[in-house]
Amino acid sequence: MKTATVTSIAGGFRAELIQLSRSRLFLFLVTLQAIAFLLLVSLFGLTGSRAPIAVVSNDAGNYAKEFISTLASTHHSFRIEPMSSEAAACSIKSGNIVAVITIPSDFSQSVLYFKPATIRVDVDNIDTDMTEDVQRALPSAIVSFGRKIGTPDIRLRVNETDLIGHDTDFIPYLVVSGLVLDAFVIAAILSAMTVAREFERRTVMLLITSPVHPMMPLIGRIAATNLVASAAMVVPALVVVYGYHIHPLHPIASVFSLFVCTCIFSCIGVALGAWIKRTVPVAALVMGLSLPIYVCSGSLEPARFDGYKIWFSAHLTPVYYAVGIVQDSFHGLHVTPESVATDAFALVGWAAASLAVAAIVVRRQFR
Amino acid sequence: MKHPEHPAVSFKQVTVQIRKHTILEDISIDLASGEITGIPGPNGAGKTNFLSAIIGLRTLSHGTITVLGENVPPCSAALRQRVGIVFQETSLYDELTTVENLRFAASLYSIPEPAKRVDAVLSLLDLSARASQRVNTLSGGFRRRVAIARALLHSPDLLIIDEPTLGVDVEARHAIWAHLQLLKSTGTTIVVSTNYLDECLALCNSVAVLRAGKLVVSSTPEALVARAGSCLDIECSLESVKDLRRLLEGTEGILRIESTDAGLSIFLSGLISADQIVRTALQSATIQGFRTRGADLAEVFNALDALPK
Repeated sequence: MKTATVTSIAGGFRAELIQLSRSRLFLFLVTLQAIAFLLLVSLFGLTGSRAPIAVVSNDAGNYAKEFISTLASTHHSFRIEPMSSEAAACSIKSGNIVAVITIPSDFSQSVLYFKPATIRVDVDNIDTDMTEDVQRALPSAIVSFGRKIGTPDIRLRVNETDLIGHDTDFIPYLVVSGLVLDAFVIAAILSAMTVAREFERRTVMLLITSPVHPMMPLIGRIAATNLVASAAMVVPALVVVYGYHIHPLHPIASVFSLFVCTCIFSCIGVALGAWIKRTVPVAALVMGLSLPIYVCSGSLEPARFDGYKIWFSAHLTPVYYAVGIVQDSFHGLHVTPESVATDAFALVGWAAASLAVAAIVVRRQFR
Repeated sequence: MKHPEHPAVSFKQVTVQIRKHTILEDISIDLASGEITGIPGPNGAGKTNFLSAIIGLRTLSHGTITVLGENVPPCSAALRQRVGIVFQETSLYDELTTVENLRFAASLYSIPEPAKRVDAVLSLLDLSARASQRVNTLSGGFRRRVAIARALLHSPDLLIIDEPTLGVDVEARHAIWAHLQLLKSTGTTIVVSTNYLDECLALCNSVAVLRAGKLVVSSTPEALVARAGSCLDIECSLESVKDLRRLLEGTEGILRIESTDAGLSIFLSGLISADQIVRTALQSATIQGFRTRGADLAEVFNALDALPK
């Protein structure tokens, strides 16, 4: 019976590898989807940094020019576009620009004689995030401008002390978390499809009526799927390393955490596939789950900054712990209050729990 | 190990209910070893449930089922090793080739020297030329043959086939029949469900007719057809139909008269010949034509409907 079990697992493994090798387009598209997710999360970082702001300068003086140049370089969320007042009015009305900053004609004179100058700001406050960005940009630009021209009236001084010895840009932060999302998408879809396909095409009947327990050939098939998913994960990882030039500080820990994620998400995919039993709905469900889980698991910023409710719910998904490990292994960032060892322990616990859940769900379907 | 003296399958007062819905009701029947038993019937008669009960996929509400000397359900691994099943929907892996499908099945049944055995069943079912063809590129007939080949890999004592020739062309149908008859000659017990009466006549030693989950009759296919009688189709006008009905009803040897679009179908027992009926009919009505034929499955069922329930 032991031999029969091993033979059937090996048979399932071999058959699934052949089947996946014949589904190259599907594999290609799933991997492409993973890369698309990396681009998508990059777009999270890019959007907002190109918000167009019109600057209408009614003053041709040097201080006005200096102030505009300071404004452009101080806040990275904006693209400053010099315009006439008529063009600016027209653009803000048609929704082409976020705000209009108007420099008064006496700006340079006022600065020169230490008089107050009034800068008019018209904001399209459709998005409060943008409005707040504009509100933040002006004071910081004024402070910088004051520093440049040595105006004694502006006495604001910022003394910044960094917690971490290096800066990590937003996009590299997002992209590394995106690898965890990729593991979810690739592993969960492949395994969910493998199991759901057995039910959908009724090939499960062959497994149910054979002398070995149907779990055995299925274990072989899932092992093959997991192998292929792990291999497919190499592609987005290479894109991150060579495309985004993000080199992990601890490569082994990165590989370990992504591999454990692949295993966990494979198990979750198996459970979903056995539960739903239809390929199209289960693929849609995995896709639908991926982004909310990603966003609320500290992938955009440490989850503890998002409030207690999000931070608490983030603990209920393995993505939270995985993001904690990959941010540490790639960037040396400690994004969870728990230690990295605790995150690793929790991730392994998740792997064991998801394996158990997958086994229970599949067994129930075979009863 | 085959025991021709014992029935291969025995149902004793078997009732199966699923969520208060009775799908098999009080069925008692023995299916003989080494023979082909047909389960003819229209869709919804309970054929697939009957076959599923044999392989232990239905929980019995009442009664017992014995298969190859073992009570089911549950169907033990040892018993499964002795039973081959061909599912209605074939249950083949589309992306795999014929030989890959068979090798995978061989791994489930722990077949020694699987490559040799796969070659043997491929050649038995004339599939060697299709061995490396992907299953999704095969015609319906070949897919059925692959499914049969897969069910034969472990040399089962009992072969269960749900609709062996469903969606298969005439040529492939005859080829499948020939293979099944060859299997029968080796002593394999075969149970087939079918929608076709000619399939029962061509293949089966006995038939068990199900209707709405109940066993209506168990007999030989020939006796089943004889119940419906031979059929005389008469083409005539609507007016002549009425006249002929009046004239022929109650005549000894006429089992049943049915109106059709073209005229009448008259079912005859052996007590009266078609010639006699035609001669009688010509004396009192105008008929455009006539022909004799055997009854089809629907007509056999209509004849069975006339039985006391």
